[in-house]
Amino acid sequence: MPDWTIYAAILGVGLAAYAMRAGGFLAVGAMPQTGLVPRLLRLAPGNLFVAFAAAGILEGGWPSLIGCAAAVAAMAVTKKEWAALAAGFAAAAIAAALL
Amino acid sequence: MSSTTSLGRPFTAAGFRRGFIAALPFIISNGIAGAVMGVAYRGLGLGFGASVLFSTVVYSATAQAVTLGLWALPPPVAAMMLACAATNARYLVMSAHLRQLFPDMPRRLMLPILLILGDASWLMTVAEAEKGRRDAGYLLGSSVPMAIGWIGGTALGYATPLTPHGPVAIAAAFLPLAFIASLLPTQWRGTRSLLPWAVAAVVGVAVAGTLGQSWAMLIGGGVGTLVSAVRGDDA
Repeated sequence: MPDWTIYAAILGVGLAAYAMRAGGFLAVGAMPQTGLVPRLLRLAPGNLFVAFAAAGILEGGWPSLIGCAAAVAAMAVTKKEWAALAAGFAAAAIAAALL
Repeated sequence: MSSTTSLGRPFTAAGFRRGFIAALPFIISNGIAGAVMGVAYRGLGLGFGASVLFSTVVYSATAQAVTLGLWALPPPVAAMMLACAATNARYLVMSAHLRQLFPDMPRRLMLPILLILGDASWLMTVAEAEKGRRDAGYLLGSSVPMAIGWIGGTALGYATPLTPHGPVAIAAAFLPLAFIASLLPTQWRGTRSLLPWAVAAVVGVAVAGTLGQSWAMLIGGGVGTLVSAVRGDDA
């Protein structure tokens, strides 16, 4: 398998990733600035994150559930994401060792 | 020029510095997660350059994890691109929101910044704006340490003979989810978040069991958003 095929595949995936990052910024100019669309944009992130977390917990099982609970609690208390990540990582590792 | 307001300049050096300093811990947290990705790429038989390129141009733990599972020779490019787009579709929402936040930011400046847009830097920037400190410099500043951590971590993980196993490996695999979970309190809007979030979670779990995790986020999150919108929520 020539290397260029692998690099081309990676660049293709990178293009898809950037299309998502830039697409909303570029396309929203064609959308209305008031009304339903901007309201949906404001409402969407929390709901997307919750669905992602729920599906991830389903896949990861108890360590993921306990890790998520620790991360959320640490973030709510400290407001520091690094503390939330550390708490989540530690809780998930301990849960994985014990359960 | 210590801060900007909604009427101020959309990009300041002070904002960059503030964002960079606020996100410095991500060099470590993203570095650890990136190192795990580097180890995984090495295990896959990918070369060092290809592994670092992956983390540079895709730059997404979730999308890279998904495409990692699809990797084969020859690479199924179309399937991987679709999976990446589905996994990262939330960025459409995020960057559209950035356009609303920074309508006066030139595209030639914003489009390169979006190369390293991350969940956390987006949320940090939105939170700053809600405090009256709207600044795309903050977005770039907070994104840079995250990119350094992720890309540098991938390189280090590939080069270092790390072989995480047991509970540490499980916890390391959990890190992308931990990123998202830790952002949830910033999105909490009190008890009115309960119903749409419960719906998003239930639908997400149901979809994950049938269509997979990428679609779970899109469909579950979409249904939860519709519940909020139909009920008349505004934010």
